[in-house]
Amino acid sequence: MKIGLEVHVQLPTKSKLFCSCPTGSENGPNGSICPVCLGFPGSKPSLNRKALEMGILIAKFMGCTITDRIWFSRKTYFYPDLPKNFQTTQYESPVGTDGVFVVGGKEIHINRVHIEEDPGRIKRVGKAGSELALVDYDRSGIPLVEIVTAPDMSSPAEAREFLTSLMTELRQLIGVSGQEQTMRVDANISVGVERVEIKNITGVKNVERGLKFEVIRQTKMLAAKKKIVRETRHFDEERGVTTPGREKEFEEDYGYIGEPDLGTYTITEMAAALKVPETPLTRAKRFEKEYGMQFSTAKQLVATSWDLADIFEELAAKIGAEKAASWCLGALSSRWKGLQEKMSDKLHETLLQIVTEAAEGRITDSDAKLRIEALSKGKEMASVDDLDIDVDGLIAQIADEHPEVVEDYRNNPKAANFIIGRVMKETKGKFSSQEIAEKAKKELENRL
Amino acid sequence: MSLERFIEAADKHEVFADRLKEIGLDGCKFHFSAKDNLCSTEFQARAGSRILEGYRPPFDATPIKKMREEGGLLIGKTNMDEFGFGTFSVNSAYGVPKNPFDPERSCGGSSGGAAAAACIIPDHVALGVSTGGSIACPASFCGVVGFTPTYGRVSRYGLIDYGNSLDKVGILSRTSKDVRKFLPVISGKDERDPTSCAQPQLDMSGKVAEVAVPSELTQNISAEVMTCFENALKKLEEMGIKVRRISMPSLKYATPAYYILATSEASTNLARYCGMRFGVMNEDFDKSFNEFFSKPRSEEFGDEAKRRVLLGTFSRMVGFRNKYYIKALQVRQLIIREYNKVFEECDAVVSPTMPFLPKRFDEIASMAPLEIYQADFLTVPPNLTGMPHLSVPCGYYDNLPVGLQAVAAQWNEGKLVQFAENWESNFEYKFPEVSL
Repeated sequence: MKIGLEVHVQLPTKSKLFCSCPTGSENGPNGSICPVCLGFPGSKPSLNRKALEMGILIAKFMGCTITDRIWFSRKTYFYPDLPKNFQTTQYESPVGTDGVFVVGGKEIHINRVHIEEDPGRIKRVGKAGSELALVDYDRSGIPLVEIVTAPDMSSPAEAREFLTSLMTELRQLIGVSGQEQTMRVDANISVGVERVEIKNITGVKNVERGLKFEVIRQTKMLAAKKKIVRETRHFDEERGVTTPGREKEFEEDYGYIGEPDLGTYTITEMAAALKVPETPLTRAKRFEKEYGMQFSTAKQLVATSWDLADIFEELAAKIGAEKAASWCLGALSSRWKGLQEKMSDKLHETLLQIVTEAAEGRITDSDAKLRIEALSKGKEMASVDDLDIDVDGLIAQIADEHPEVVEDYRNNPKAANFIIGRVMKETKGKFSSQEIAEKAKKELENRL
Repeated sequence: MSLERFIEAADKHEVFADRLKEIGLDGCKFHFSAKDNLCSTEFQARAGSRILEGYRPPFDATPIKKMREEGGLLIGKTNMDEFGFGTFSVNSAYGVPKNPFDPERSCGGSSGGAAAAACIIPDHVALGVSTGGSIACPASFCGVVGFTPTYGRVSRYGLIDYGNSLDKVGILSRTSKDVRKFLPVISGKDERDPTSCAQPQLDMSGKVAEVAVPSELTQNISAEVMTCFENALKKLEEMGIKVRRISMPSLKYATPAYYILATSEASTNLARYCGMRFGVMNEDFDKSFNEFFSKPRSEEFGDEAKRRVLLGTFSRMVGFRNKYYIKALQVRQLIIREYNKVFEECDAVVSPTMPFLPKRFDEIASMAPLEIYQADFLTVPPNLTGMPHLSVPCGYYDNLPVGLQAVAAQWNEGKLVQFAENWESNFEYKFPEVSL
């Protein structure tokens, strides 16, 4: 089985690809439109450089060969959501070609990465038969990146994993804001020889569903010795099935020509100046190599938080990777939600300090955990002497109430734990257990 | 407000000149007109097409805006072949402009109305547009100066596209002094047209000392035009300008390459006129969108527009694209190289502007489309290559004007203006008395 994907993801720019209209939809339907994105006669496009940069960054990240000189093309077809009845896209000169994306240790070849404009959006209202198509052009001219893979995936699950991983990476790389369900995908699948294209599937989950359906459909047809025809199909989200395209499909002819209004761009220098930041999966890969971590563990660590992974690396340098991992994946990770909300440079430093002290045996692990717990709840862990509560008095009081403990302590030093536990409970974790332990032991020693 | 006064005057008078007589400049420094494919909020922009009837653009074309800022009064829009598709201005949905020298004859096209206005109205500046010769041709037929700058010199923002890689906004006027005055006004970078941003500073100095006459552009010319042209060459020599006879073999490919590129681009530009946002919307909402779109296109486009959409669509179809569209792009580069070689030694390439005298409408009616396309073979080369060029009246035959075309290297507009001024101090232009 061979599966290849054409993935469309919105580039998170402030303005559209060829005009200065905002990309947000806060103004309601047809609220962010202008003569350019409506294709008014006489209007001319101007390229949003930020979108181009993002496209180049993605291509670079995937290890593509960056095209030296690029231009845009007109892809002509008539459709109500397309104001000019041609889409401005890239044809002969995609930003990048021949890249690779690794999923689950397997290399998926990337044929090309290019940028293009989105058409408008059609909304059908009313009852079937008398329905009305409303067009919202807010989406017209929104910048998209299209990533085209080779047919290197061999199961719907693998396609899903590819898309999920891709989205994870793009979020970090260019700040893609959309969720996995906003991806739009054309999926090509062949179980036998002839391939079928499922067009315009929205969301990762639906891609997998659509592909699964096609696997079953095509397998059944082959088993029944029926011929699979090369065609374009649509995925019906509600019924979970693919159906043949509504219009008779043939080898489409978009009559591509260059877009003269935009001219050509030499992007070599721009590409060289752009630094590809480390992405979650490449970072996890590095952790695996550098710190001898399991890849899945590293992935989990990076996925929890980029900051936590930073803390891990700083700790690893001080106390070794093994200890750092155990603290980061344990005590820190389990309280990360609270810590992240309050994250600051100071908190970052405090956490490093606590874990380092614990690792070096200057404070106990449980003490460190208590302090982390306190920090995650927004409480600053103070030292015992700073507080008004009379810990000594409290210890004495408990010792008075439980003479059996004092007696027990004579032969069994662990008996002090009872008092320590009680004091900690009473003081609601405001004190370091080490300090309480020292005080309790002192009190008990005195009583012997 | 000048607009209301013009509308009022327009109701009474059909001709700009007449309206001007009545209301004068209305406080402005000069008056100008714009070809109907240049957008202005005050007037409809129909580009000679029925499909744009009633269309009032929400913005001004940059050249119009710049002329206004200079103190210009836009007195109206000039008639043209539909979207610029024509050589005689007979392909307009709004009537046919008549040649001021002889109303039985064509103004030339596609900026026919602009050339007529420039000829009839003294001190008038007409903004025209050239894709394949649409400024030079009517300038020649109407006996005025027609100046087409280098592609990318004047912003095309607000120009309704014909062939985006070929379209240029220029000036038609009685004399070259208006070109000297107004070319700097309309030129310059405009961030709303990225292709205007590659230009170097406009240099209005320069001099033409030597011109080249390619033999390819002196063949298939009518005897009347040839006589005038040869006389003009003699005059140039008398003026101290060297005339060199050369050959530019690649020019014979210019016309087919031009028509392939221009129609390919045009066919995509016209796709938007489908009765949904532009063009007359029909009520056939129960039809499929393809049928819905086809109806206004079938009914509202003129024959020549349809012909060019078909030609252009064909040239970029899979299986033909490499043979025609891609090949034509290569031919364009070949011709640019050949021009540049000539410009290493000569300042300008000169030829007649049109191969015949202004045609009579009855003659035009019997011309085949291909014959009409071929009539552009003199004006197409500089247009295809984006070189600046102008047409000046260089002689009169039977009281009909004959134009001489001079082409300079890219960005060398100054040389051409100097050439025209030099010519005008040695040759007197004639303008017909037109009774209004």
